[in-house]
Amino acid sequence: MTASDRELLERSARGDRAAFGEFVEQHSANVHRYLRWLVDDPNDVEDLLQKTFVDAWRAAAQARADGGARTWLLAIARRNAGKWLARRGATREREQSLEELGELAGFGDAQHTPEQMARAAEERSLVEQALAALAPPEREILVLRELEGVEGAAAAELLGLSLAAQKSRLHRARLRLAAELRQRLRAEVDR
Amino acid sequence: MKAERVLAGLSCSQVLASLTDYLDGELAPDARAALEAHVRACEHCARFGGVFAAVVRGLRERLGSAALDPGVGARLRTKLGAQLDAQLGASNERRDEPR
Ligand SMILES: [Zn+2]
Repeated sequence: MTASDRELLERSARGDRAAFGEFVEQHSANVHRYLRWLVDDPNDVEDLLQKTFVDAWRAAAQARADGGARTWLLAIARRNAGKWLARRGATREREQSLEELGELAGFGDAQHTPEQMARAAEERSLVEQALAALAPPEREILVLRELEGVEGAAAAELLGLSLAAQKSRLHRARLRLAAELRQRLRAEVDR
Repeated sequence: MKAERVLAGLSCSQVLASLTDYLDGELAPDARAALEAHVRACEHCARFGGVFAAVVRGLRERLGSAALDPGVGARLRTKLGAQLDAQLGASNERRDEPR
């Protein structure tokens, strides 16, 4: 936890609303982004965002000094989103092999070049569509690791996974995102 | 996998399985050297490794900076303020009681 986060939380724990307001300002965009990719309904996202900070205010005195304040907040957010997490567990597809995923992502396709992919990845809307198309657990690991900058060990703890399982999910999610982007790129070329 | 081959003691499938570790700098030095030797000799893995890195970079660069929608921020401040006022009232009452 950074010195400023710790100080703001200590002051918040003593009832300093201005300090807590500053803490909210510093982290609300990240917590919102995480929830937004986790939960489909925008109204639910805002409710969960508020609930997360209400819980953080109540728990400010117990905020763990190890790990970052942001990871602590994301764990609170994730707990609050439990209803949505339970719902998504129902649709589980067959796990594809890494080789199958690699081929979907363009391994062995001489037409599919890094330059082409770099251009596709320049387009924000294309990247958003591809991320949105992923299964929720794969989307979540990418949001945590690539967007929120959560370290592997902290992400594993947050998700209740072993470090190896966390890494494997990240790898598959990256390949899946590559496959989704490739599919969209090909659709654009065909048009 | 189509076009699968073994070069520098590694198969293309093994390279594919290690790309995340490679990109994140988590491969041991000799594993890293073997992977790089394979990729230098294998155009499939060279091309795909470039694609993979471009995807991860694109994700981070396009969606990695967070800015809260001003409307969301304003609603959060208002509603959170009201909820914390209610909380504070409740906890002040509690504080009057002995622990
Ligand atoms: Zn190869």
